[in-house]
Amino acid sequence: MNSAQIEIQLIASLVAIACAIPGTFLVLRKMAMISDAISHAILPGLVVGFFITQDLNSPLLILLAALTGLITVILVEQIQKTGLVKEDTAIGLVFPALFSIGVLLISKNANDVHLDIDAVLLGELAFAPFDRLFIGGTDVGPKSLWVIGTILTITIGLLIAFFKELKVSTFDAGLSASLGFSPVVIHYGLMSVASVTTVGAFDAVGAILVVALMIAPAATAYLLTTDLKRMLLLSIFFGLFSAIAGYWMAHALDASIAGSITTILGLLFLMVYLFAPSNGIIAVLYKEKQQRIEVSLLTFLLHLKNHSEKRERHVNHLREHINWQKVRAKTVLELALKNNMIVINNDIVSLTKKGDKFTTQAIDYIITNEDAQIEGMKDDFFLFRG
Amino acid sequence: MAQNIAVKVDDLTVAYNYKPVLWDIDLEIPEGVLMAIVGPNGAGKSTLIKSILGILPPIAGSVTIYGKPYKKQRSLVAYVPQKGSVDWDFPTTALDVVMMGTYGSLGWIKRPRQKEKKAALEALEKVGMLAFKSRQISQLSGGQQQRIFLARALVQNASIYFMDEPFQGVDATTEIAIINILKELRKAGKTVIVVHHDLQTVPEYFDWVTFLNVKKIATGPVKDIFNDDNLTKTYGINYKVSIQE
Repeated sequence: MNSAQIEIQLIASLVAIACAIPGTFLVLRKMAMISDAISHAILPGLVVGFFITQDLNSPLLILLAALTGLITVILVEQIQKTGLVKEDTAIGLVFPALFSIGVLLISKNANDVHLDIDAVLLGELAFAPFDRLFIGGTDVGPKSLWVIGTILTITIGLLIAFFKELKVSTFDAGLSASLGFSPVVIHYGLMSVASVTTVGAFDAVGAILVVALMIAPAATAYLLTTDLKRMLLLSIFFGLFSAIAGYWMAHALDASIAGSITTILGLLFLMVYLFAPSNGIIAVLYKEKQQRIEVSLLTFLLHLKNHSEKRERHVNHLREHINWQKVRAKTVLELALKNNMIVINNDIVSLTKKGDKFTTQAIDYIITNEDAQIEGMKDDFFLFRG
Repeated sequence: MAQNIAVKVDDLTVAYNYKPVLWDIDLEIPEGVLMAIVGPNGAGKSTLIKSILGILPPIAGSVTIYGKPYKKQRSLVAYVPQKGSVDWDFPTTALDVVMMGTYGSLGWIKRPRQKEKKAALEALEKVGMLAFKSRQISQLSGGQQQRIFLARALVQNASIYFMDEPFQGVDATTEIAIINILKELRKAGKTVIVVHHDLQTVPEYFDWVTFLNVKKIATGPVKDIFNDDNLTKTYGINYKVSIQE
């Protein structure tokens, strides 16, 4: 690895972490699309800032562009407040309008500078190491590394300081307001961080990848955990992983780095969506199948418990009495036998002591929904794993 | 019952998009009552609570808690929003939600520590939910979620409790458990204000009642004012829910 390669990966990693943090809260606040709006709508701010500063990495430009991001949020909210259109429509109205102003400004005035539409949409991470920061004549690294590093440091500082406020206002804005943590202040604080991060990341990775880096890691993490802190850490990890893996994928394919990172993000989500241990599609389908069988088993055992008369308990009659198809009846019968819950004597099925106890406990559990009584069964049966 | 006024509302008017949903409300809630706010859908019951707590800004009027504005008295007040107002898929546990009740006394930036955790565990125990402390909140039943909300208010150790439909979607056991806790709070001298829907249980659960339908219809002790006349005025139709002695 040469130093440019390391620098690119470092920039991509810092951008990924800086995006994953506000992204997690956007996803939880069901505001994922606002990041899309911000990332496009900051364009006129960037262009105007560029005219003033002539430097894509100037702090003034970043603040100006981030301000456009905040204006976007406010405009969307104002349009939505009229009650005439819904939030998604308001977003769809605001950001193309602002973005198109930016496109016009670029095509009229900035044809000869680095700011062009391709770079705006997809970014060009590969060129990031060429724009260096010099302090007192010494090369201290790529400018965008310093920009995103600063933004990330501030973001992490704010996250640690206001974690509890972010959590309570995201979960329950009403309680947050009544406790004195103004949800409005926190909302705009988060939006400011999201805007600044978007601007900082924009130059390196472009408008589309910024959205992907904010939303995809958080959405993936959301499928895997029920703890906010862990969700944040997982988002960061997924962002980081995609940044590095994406870089090497681009290297191997000789393709766009931004495109590769986004692809990895998409693949990661797909994998987790399919294979997550408790919420993944495959796990859910398997669990549903198991539950179906177990509910059948329980129905069957209950039937045996409720009927002492022999004709209700004859193997051949069971099928018509509880109205099951042959295969299902066989599966259930075998499962019950395997677990020593029934015995079959002369084709008459009877509950064993274990089966009888199990049935009583299971019914108790279902009615009271209390855990303690059933602790031992959890390992054998999915039904009781909640 | 000559007592202090816990909550005083003067000429309160609240509007959504210039359409008043609460009109010129005057209300004095004495300390130590267990009060129901009743009225039809859209009467402004939740709005009244939210504007007392400063969540919705009024367009006119004022609210004082023990003689001072709410902003200065936050620590005296606990609020239980409607259960449906939050996303129960939020990645957090029952204990963590209850801990949120301690955030107000901590203020900005400071983090909850052992003391807050202990208080939250005690509150969970009080509502019979200690065994569920580590449960993810989406794995709780509706009644259990309501108990968690109640525990979160208890942990605030306030003087005045505002509750928005705490009996909504809970089973009879939970309803009784909740009302017993509310009665205990009153016994401890706290003031409890509840948005309530089931008129049948008003006389049994509450000692004070406010009838509301955009305007205030009546407020006072249940035994004096909970009658067909006020019910009819509030609900518009000829209501016959006589007090069952």
